[in-house]
Amino acid sequence: MSEKLLPAGFEALEPFVAYWAQPTNDKRWDQRARAPMAEITAFYDAMYDRAEDAIAWLDENYPLGQEMPEDARNLSCLLLGLGQAAIAVEMHRQPRSPYSVFPHGIYMKSGPWPLG
Amino acid sequence: MSDVLENPKIEVPHAIDLTRKAGLGTGPVPVEPYVSPEFYERERKLVFGRAWLNLGRIEQLPKANSYFVKPVEACNAQVLVTRNADGEIKAFHNVCSHRGAAVALEECGVRNRFTCRYHGWTYRNDGELIGVTDPDMFFDLDKKQLGLTPIACDVWEGWIFVNFQKRPEVSLIEFLGDLGEVFRGIPYMNTHQALIIEANFNANWKLIADAFAEGYHVSSLHPNTLAPSFSSDKNKFARPVGGRAWGAHRSVSTFGNMDYVTPENSKVERLANMNNGAIVLAGDTGEQAQKLLAHRAINQAKSAHWSADLTWLFPNFNIDFSPGGFWTHEFWPTAYNKTRWIARIYMPTATSWRDRLAQEHYAARWGEVVLEDVSNCERIQIGLESGAKDHIILQDGEFMIRHSLETINKWVNAKTVKEALS
Repeated sequence: MSEKLLPAGFEALEPFVAYWAQPTNDKRWDQRARAPMAEITAFYDAMYDRAEDAIAWLDENYPLGQEMPEDARNLSCLLLGLGQAAIAVEMHRQPRSPYSVFPHGIYMKSGPWPLG
Repeated sequence: MSDVLENPKIEVPHAIDLTRKAGLGTGPVPVEPYVSPEFYERERKLVFGRAWLNLGRIEQLPKANSYFVKPVEACNAQVLVTRNADGEIKAFHNVCSHRGAAVALEECGVRNRFTCRYHGWTYRNDGELIGVTDPDMFFDLDKKQLGLTPIACDVWEGWIFVNFQKRPEVSLIEFLGDLGEVFRGIPYMNTHQALIIEANFNANWKLIADAFAEGYHVSSLHPNTLAPSFSSDKNKFARPVGGRAWGAHRSVSTFGNMDYVTPENSKVERLANMNNGAIVLAGDTGEQAQKLLAHRAINQAKSAHWSADLTWLFPNFNIDFSPGGFWTHEFWPTAYNKTRWIARIYMPTATSWRDRLAQEHYAARWGEVVLEDVSNCERIQIGLESGAKDHIILQDGEFMIRHSLETINKWVNAKTVKEALS
């Protein structure tokens, strides 16, 4: 299979893969919580613009639960990362809830299927 | 519920006088139960040592010979919960009869026997000792007397409870009382999948339980995460729409903002088709959800402004219901000022990537709510331990906290469980 980071047409998102394409809910939360706001916003803007295309592409090629090659898996993790970035950008306007402790002893032991 | 009255100042009907109707006092309540190591020792022995404690649901034992291990620090115990081939559920201390090592070393799995890793003694999942290595070296060994030590265990509506009294003074059904009867037959939806959030933090276990007992704090502590869904201009401080005591237990029906519209700038919520803010759990509105809403125990006032029922089973367990399903909280003390809190939010299986994005957003919101509450509880613990205050003040909508404290007080002073429940 391909060794591309992302499926054809999504190359512009490649710079975000290393940081944002994380395999679990807990990891995606932690990455968002630790990122500077400017980086969260940059990822949010770029991913939001391609979110409809990503959903359509994934539903078409890899419906939920199917084994995915790395490029598709990266795209799906980026899409879910958008759910995390939205909390910072749309809800708090900062990486984490105001006045919250960090680091903290909270973790998502099991997230929703798949890639929970 | 007949207690729900129109208040001229507020457009939304809300319940009043919940405190007096639950037979509770109205004065300040002492801080001691939150900060005193001595009080905690009494709770360990007389509350956690005598009450029926929820350890999970039967779906955590999905097949024959499934098991899980659960720590209950308040009772210095590791509980091994097993299901045998006939579907019987039993609980044991996870302690080998030879020299006290743990026989199950993983958190969960499927096994019909457990072999101690220290010297290889083997137990069946009904507790019986079935194998001793090099038995000829022992003196008068009677295997029949050397099974795993059982812990009283019973199941109600799919919920697994244990009791650390050697012979529990009251049955689980007696312990649950009227609540056990009225809450029968509730459809528990999406039991196959739970978002599980675990938090370990520095605060008394009752502080976090208290946070899930009232909506009064929502507009202030959770202004971005929850307030838009659970309060409104019509009911800014989220006065409850119903509530009552059930013997040692209690429930409150919380207000929901039915005028909630996903804000324009919540672009991802809109993209993910989330139209109900935080209220409808992952958007489950199917037939089962309708059955839940129609159940007599749920939203007892049948208020049009209802968002959730918070059902607090004494001492440390919540089963909470909303239009989209249910979730639970376990508040486990690990020291007088340390808690492990486990939230399990049961969710439907996503059917598309758009759904899955909605669930990620929903889970992320929960994470922030947990973080807001944990941060706040740690600060409260510091505040209360300062000794600045001897008492705290509670309003009517906070009646469940008062009921919890009064019930705990009763238990730590009662000679018998029957007396505590009377």
